[in-house]
Amino acid sequence: MAVQGIWSGTISFSLVAIPVQLVKAVEPGRISFRLLHGKDYSPLVRRMFCPQQEKAVPSEEIIRGYEIGPDRYLPITDEELESVSPERSRTIEIVEFIDMDEVDPIYYDHPYYLVPLKGGEKSYRLLAEAMRQTNRAGLAKFVLAEREYLVAVKSREGVLALITLHYSEDVLPDDDIQPKEETPAAGDKGRIKKSISRMMGDFNPGKYADERREKVMDLLKRKAKEKAPVEAPAVEAEEGEGPADLIAALEEVMRKVKKNR
Amino acid sequence: MSRKVVEIAGRRLSLSNLEKDLYPSYGFTKAHVLAYYRRIAGFILPHLKDRALTLKRYPEGVDKDYFFEKRCPPHRPAWAHTAEVRRDDGERTTACLVNDLATLVWVENLASIELHVPLARAASPETPDAMVFDLDPGEQAGILDCARVALILRDLLSRLRLTSCVKTSGQKGLHVYVPLNRPETTFEGTKQFSKAVAVILQKNYPDLVTARMAKESRKGRVFINWSQNDAAATMICVYSLRAREKPFVSFPLEWRELEHLAGEDDPEKFQIIHAEAVRRAETMGDLFHEVLLKQQRLPHL
Repeated sequence: MAVQGIWSGTISFSLVAIPVQLVKAVEPGRISFRLLHGKDYSPLVRRMFCPQQEKAVPSEEIIRGYEIGPDRYLPITDEELESVSPERSRTIEIVEFIDMDEVDPIYYDHPYYLVPLKGGEKSYRLLAEAMRQTNRAGLAKFVLAEREYLVAVKSREGVLALITLHYSEDVLPDDDIQPKEETPAAGDKGRIKKSISRMMGDFNPGKYADERREKVMDLLKRKAKEKAPVEAPAVEAEEGEGPADLIAALEEVMRKVKKNR
Repeated sequence: MSRKVVEIAGRRLSLSNLEKDLYPSYGFTKAHVLAYYRRIAGFILPHLKDRALTLKRYPEGVDKDYFFEKRCPPHRPAWAHTAEVRRDDGERTTACLVNDLATLVWVENLASIELHVPLARAASPETPDAMVFDLDPGEQAGILDCARVALILRDLLSRLRLTSCVKTSGQKGLHVYVPLNRPETTFEGTKQFSKAVAVILQKNYPDLVTARMAKESRKGRVFINWSQNDAAATMICVYSLRAREKPFVSFPLEWRELEHLAGEDDPEKFQIIHAEAVRRAETMGDLFHEVLLKQQRLPHL
């Protein structure tokens, strides 16, 4: 099966169940660079390194350990971890409808879109429209990639978006951040308020672009024009022809082929 | 820039710059490229399906700069199928899966003249469906030499009870595919096997074949590039156009025809141009269909 969405299943509450697919809603346009060996421009790869034996460790020799003290670990297998993982969700079951304005944005984790699947279009439209009109978002628990999330489902101009939320225990306290109270000078508060009202605007994210990204792209375009790219050396085959018995058997077959040609 | 909105299977697509001449010395515009892919869609789509596409885009035409894109452009339509794939440096990236006509038309609107795909599907990236012998002629060698090597390969493989299929690269070489389509196949296995075969051919036909990548050893010989049997490698998809002076296609040939062509001394006859490709596919069907279906096991020798 093709990996098309991140997840598919149903979104449901009371008697409604709508088949949907979860897809990414954002993709940071980060420019990524390959790491090369400066001497011959070979692209580098990551390997797990054992400092004790001073060599790369093959994947079949790598296990997990939970660190309980210096140089003391509890080894744990994938099967053991799996046995305590929550069961993959088949449904996003809405348990409450909340006012999204009450959710402090600090709880927002990651946004996704919900795409209606065949047969779900009509109820999807109805739900999205009703949620838009009432300005309510659905709250649900949902297991994705072996983690259980609290999620909010909200209507965004007729499209349902799903936002994973942080649990309250994940949010760090802000107790010591606010400065100690001091009586502000009479004019200061008014002046700041005035400045704010002068600079008021509507939120229009399209106005802003990642300028560094644009500059890096320009730089890359300029470099591509000015200079030929460097090339990685062709990967020369590891020496050796292959297992001796395979070579010998093929040689035998080759002899017969040649005789008949 | 001119725009035209089309609707394909309920998907709306805005096509741009259709009059752009992408093959200037031949006179073949983006509209022609799109028309070719729409006609050949029924044949090429099964071979693109569920495979992480590498786009090779020629926005200014085949004689100007191109760029490879393994990442599916983020401005893609919401309905385009994608897969998360792991690059060889361990980073993850989102790749396009060309699983329907609308997506095919969309990637062609990006002037992605050449469509390159891995030998494995995105959902099982370590399981090749086929083993490939990429026959690449060195300097002073040509497609006729490739044809000779391909025929020797076919004979050797059929002695091993392996069916193989051949296509033109659309450039100067030939590609011989051995369908496998079994879940236990690994790249390690196909690489080792194809390398051993290349080495044996080199030993037996030292003036015709080399199994080594080094430029020197390729002069006047056909390089059997067995290292394409790798999860990180891609091959030009069968029925894809190539970005050469003329819109030639990477096209499957019957072995009989290859035997015939090898006997004639005309490398030009190997090249299948767009219109010929459509005509042949529509009369002969997909000569590469076995590559997707036939289950074969590499023999334990």
